[in-house]
Amino acid sequence: MNHLAKKRRQFIIAALAIPVLLLVCFVVVPAIDLIRMSFTNWDGLSKTSDFIWLDNYISMLKNPDLWQSLKNNAVYFFVHLLTIPVELAFAVLLTSKLRAAKFYKTMVFLPYIINGVAISYAFSYFFSPINGAFDSILEAVKLGMLSGHGWLSDEKIVNFTLAFVSLWRFSGYHIVLFMAALQSVNQDILEAATIDGASSWQLFRYIQTPSIMLMVDFVLFDNIRGAMQVFDIPFVMTQGGPGYASSTFTLYTIKTAFTFSNFGLAATMAVAIMLMIILIYIVQNKIIHGLILKEGK
Amino acid sequence: MRTLQKFNARAALIQLVKQILCLAMVIIVLLPVLVTVFAAFKTRADMVNTSPLALPDNVTLENFEEVFTNKRLWTGLKNTLIILAVSLFFNILLGTITAYIIERFDFKFKKTVVALFFIGMLVPTFVTEIARFKIINGIGLYGTVGAPIVIYVASDLMQLYIYRQFLSTIPTSLDESALPDGCSYFQLFRKIIFPLLAPATATVAIIKSITIINDMYIPYLYMPGNKQRTLTTFLMDYANAQQGSWQTLAAGIVIVMLPTVLLYIFFQRYILAGVAAGAVKE
Repeated sequence: MNHLAKKRRQFIIAALAIPVLLLVCFVVVPAIDLIRMSFTNWDGLSKTSDFIWLDNYISMLKNPDLWQSLKNNAVYFFVHLLTIPVELAFAVLLTSKLRAAKFYKTMVFLPYIINGVAISYAFSYFFSPINGAFDSILEAVKLGMLSGHGWLSDEKIVNFTLAFVSLWRFSGYHIVLFMAALQSVNQDILEAATIDGASSWQLFRYIQTPSIMLMVDFVLFDNIRGAMQVFDIPFVMTQGGPGYASSTFTLYTIKTAFTFSNFGLAATMAVAIMLMIILIYIVQNKIIHGLILKEGK
Repeated sequence: MRTLQKFNARAALIQLVKQILCLAMVIIVLLPVLVTVFAAFKTRADMVNTSPLALPDNVTLENFEEVFTNKRLWTGLKNTLIILAVSLFFNILLGTITAYIIERFDFKFKKTVVALFFIGMLVPTFVTEIARFKIINGIGLYGTVGAPIVIYVASDLMQLYIYRQFLSTIPTSLDESALPDGCSYFQLFRKIIFPLLAPATATVAIIKSITIINDMYIPYLYMPGNKQRTLTTFLMDYANAQQGSWQTLAAGIVIVMLPTVLLYIFFQRYILAGVAAGAVKE
């Protein structure tokens, strides 16, 4: 028996050694190192760097372009947040009695699967100012007077255009998650409750809603994480321009490190992103759970 | 009888509204894609003379020829396939064995190990590279396919949750029955557990393939050389060289889009199952 226990231990150690080592070296250590770097002025190349206390944090807070970028992130956050009820409604629609449901389910998730760089260029073409598809559509539906805006060059509009592209790409993900949650509601419990005389409102309120709440929670968290980390759409379509009109916090952070070689300051911004994700999540949770509890009474 | 008819009419009306809503969704999804596909088959003259919403007047394949004769496309394809094959191999191997041990064994420090993997899921993706860059550079992987491979294997942990969820549905009696016959734990894993996990492995392989083929950021950062293009970073280079020639860029877009779209259409059911499993981790 002792022999078997020893064999067992050897197996566990041998099997876990590599994955844990990889995780520590390439995920845990960098995450901790990010915090350390945020207090230094490392330039990405030098062997040494100075410990500069909170200088990076102060210069981060004083940076107007970064604040502008953060405002742009807020647009993504609210555009996606306001769409969540629509996404949930679509999930209900797609899981209900519906002809050609399979085809629609395929379509709804397609944007999420498509190569992000490829579709960003496709949207650049779609919104192009010369013979662009979007302007042609506006003209076709007799809204020609709205066409001809620089959808990707007017600094008042560009960020909204990109937020729309983001919506196009990521909504399907949330719809699929909601669909999975709706389908996982235990059919036996639903049936039993119906036999016991529960109304369909009661079914929705006491059985379906609680079981999809976990998913709603995840989607809300995913929305914060996604909105704070918008990167590839502006990176490919506008490089954050014109000026900083469509820059985002993550885009600015990456530029600070790899274009301006200020790794210390970039690490500070990275720490700020992590803190903001946690903070917004806590606040949002308080607000939403507060509302739902009130409704329940 | 009359109430039944009324009921049928109401059901038909509801179905009609649903169909209209769904068709609107399909149009929104397909429009930007179709417009690009149209452009890819248009001649330079058609690009000016026809509406972007219209089918090409004279269908041409020149744009595709132009992309296919670009050597970098093939370099990109080769690099993508190498990265994909090696990452998938290790992801599946390490993912299955880690999930198996966490799910089926009790040991000292188990909580610590699980917590480590959970933290791994929370670390934000893009900005971590600021610190990881130094490590990748330090071990000499910068500018090689090794950089993306090691990052994909070490840091993308969603397969762990798919495997764990799948394992929790397999009864333990199945795997323990083999032990008394002098079978080692490793043999037990290889001969019984690993094959049992095959459906989950299919899901993991397909989702990972799509993520890896579509990823721009890691190859962009770590493989800047001309010979180090992947399919996706090839398109970025190609786009920069096509200033204003939308029809050739459109052909490039279509070619780069195609592999993952095809994977999706053929293996859809694995994908939809895995996406939900990977999301809800608790």
